[in-house]
Amino acid sequence: MKNHLLQAYRQAPWRVQLQWIGLFLLGLVLISFVAGVYLNISGRAAAAGRQIQAMENRIGVLKREINDLATQLASITSAEQMHSRVKDTNLHQMDPNSALYIKVPGYQTRSSVVLAPPPNANMVEKPLLQPQYTTSLWDWFVDNIWAAPDKPINIDIKVSP
Amino acid sequence: MKPPFWTRYLILSMICALVALGVIIQMVRIQNIPGAKDIMAQSELYAGVKETIYPSRGNIYDCNGYLLAGNETTYEVGLDLFQIVDPETIATVTTTILGLDYKETLVYARNLPGENARYYIVLADFVSSDKIEQLNILKEEYANRPKQKNEVRPSLAGLVWNAHTKRSYPEGDLASNLIGFFGFLDRKEGHGFFGVEEAYNDLLTGTPKEIFMASDPQLVEALPEIPAGASLVLTIDREVQAMAETVLENSVKWSGAEAGTIIISDPRDGAILAMATTPRLDPNKYWEYDEIFPKPTPFNRAVSKSYEPGSVFKVITMAAALDKGIVEPDTPFYDPGYIEVGGSYIYNWNGGAWGDQDMIGCMQHSLNVCLAWIATELGAKDFYRYLEDFGFNRNTGIDVAGEIHWPLRVPGDNQWFEVDLGTNSFGQGVAATPIQMVMAISALANEGKMMAPHIVKSMIINNHQYEINPVVVGTPIKAETAETITRMLAVSLQEESSSALVDGYKIAGKTGTAEIPTEFGYTNETTNTSFVGWGPTDDPQFLVYIWLEKPSISIWGADVAAPVFQEIVQNLVILLDIPPDAVRQNLTAK
Repeated sequence: MKNHLLQAYRQAPWRVQLQWIGLFLLGLVLISFVAGVYLNISGRAAAAGRQIQAMENRIGVLKREINDLATQLASITSAEQMHSRVKDTNLHQMDPNSALYIKVPGYQTRSSVVLAPPPNANMVEKPLLQPQYTTSLWDWFVDNIWAAPDKPINIDIKVSP
Repeated sequence: MKPPFWTRYLILSMICALVALGVIIQMVRIQNIPGAKDIMAQSELYAGVKETIYPSRGNIYDCNGYLLAGNETTYEVGLDLFQIVDPETIATVTTTILGLDYKETLVYARNLPGENARYYIVLADFVSSDKIEQLNILKEEYANRPKQKNEVRPSLAGLVWNAHTKRSYPEGDLASNLIGFFGFLDRKEGHGFFGVEEAYNDLLTGTPKEIFMASDPQLVEALPEIPAGASLVLTIDREVQAMAETVLENSVKWSGAEAGTIIISDPRDGAILAMATTPRLDPNKYWEYDEIFPKPTPFNRAVSKSYEPGSVFKVITMAAALDKGIVEPDTPFYDPGYIEVGGSYIYNWNGGAWGDQDMIGCMQHSLNVCLAWIATELGAKDFYRYLEDFGFNRNTGIDVAGEIHWPLRVPGDNQWFEVDLGTNSFGQGVAATPIQMVMAISALANEGKMMAPHIVKSMIINNHQYEINPVVVGTPIKAETAETITRMLAVSLQEESSSALVDGYKIAGKTGTAEIPTEFGYTNETTNTSFVGWGPTDDPQFLVYIWLEKPSISIWGADVAAPVFQEIVQNLVILLDIPPDAVRQNLTAK
């Protein structure tokens, strides 16, 4: 009787086989999906890596070209070149005793050349990429979910008059 | 009951297992054979390349931001032996454009890859951009030329070039004696020689970094930030420097001098505005150094050559005596034409007796006897203490390479004799470099404060400009003394109607004529002529020091160096925008 009952509720063998095949295919699809995502991400990361390399090369080339152009510019505006242009244009040196000097209020005399900003005592090096772009998912969970209750919460409340 | 085909499955499985086992055994074997390490090393070659990145050398600018030393692009041309298909064309083209030897290039181009362990051969380096442009046009033309029937198309495949930077000095030999040069032909070990290139070599070079560039894109990382070498902004004004060099060259020619030096400084902060010396070298062709500077010619005589300055040194002696209160400007002195010091007699420059004089007269007529008397009145202890306070016993510390100083002989030294007190007072028997003289005399022009002479005004490190503050080295004399000696020297210049005077500007100054010591004693046939002056006397903004060595036109500083000073100052007041005294005082009073 017991055997009869069991047999009555047992799936047909072809159904069981189909279920196994389905499960296997589901697993296969999942693995393929994960592999696909992995390949996609790693492929894009590799392409980005190559782009970074290419851009860094380009930066190097541009820096070299800028240096080269600055040096070329300096050559064609050198003191010797400028003096020869002065001669060509028939200019001559002024006589300080015959020059007219005028007092101009607020006029600043030549100050020292500034080629770069001065160092600032409060200078803080800012990272090139914000933390949102560099934090891993795990770190984000740790910082914002797990450790969040310990952190003080600052809420700006603006009250309109 | 065994399933159908069980035996076949079993055999198939066993074959697969055996193959897998064989693969594993082979893997283990390969990793342990004697050549395993070589194979690993070989594999690492394909993993990527290790490269040392050299930061670009820092630039050098003048005080107005004009580039004095920078970097230009240049190329290395080589042969990639894997790619070569037409050695003859490569040899012909490189011979025509780069001027290489045809036969030699052909032999290189016919090398097989790996022959003599060579895959790449350097043909030429430091090739200019225009030549590379010519090569590029030809290479592309050959590559794109349609192939005719039975035609062997010429090809420059395998001829490659790589860009790199080269130190360049766009102003040529301008200020080369204080800039120095960089040995750029040695691309790995090159360093700065002389001037600021040597003194600041480490800062200018930056820090090279070795990096690994992986072939595996998964391992690619952003290159680390490698900051360029620090750039320097000098105190030199290129217009003032160019003017000083032009005047110096003309003066050396006109006077028949062997060499010359001109230093222009700002006595208020010790900044060197110009430093011109002869001979000069174009640092773009630094390999001509041996030819231009045969031994023992110094690269920069302003800092690397000491000499007995003669009468310009009298300003130091007089300043010391005034400061100590030994004399006043109107202190009388009777000049009999000689004075005995330490058993030796000292005479005036013309051997004459000048009779009744005051201290201004002593300076105006440059009387050795008077100054020797002042030194004896001051006493050896105080005289040499003042000389030490003025910095004559040490380097000035100016920030260019190669500075020297002559060891000051003081009482107690084996080589010091009592007569030295007398001769030292008028600049004989004592030696100094021009830069030592400039530093010492800057105290007279700057209210007694002696400023450290310096060439670098600011540094640019990691994109931030750091200013260098002027340094007071000492205060050898009081401000009142400085004012008094300046006034005395201005009056003495006026009264002798010196050829150093400049119309519209009140200048203080002193000539110098020094006999030159030889192994047979002093010679008065050839001299060192000097002049030092500063102005405007009520607000000194420049100090000019001139030294012309062994002029042939005249032996006297008043004839040779003083007119050069006048020419320098006439140009300088225009370049520095200094109005004539009357105009300036009028503008200030408004």
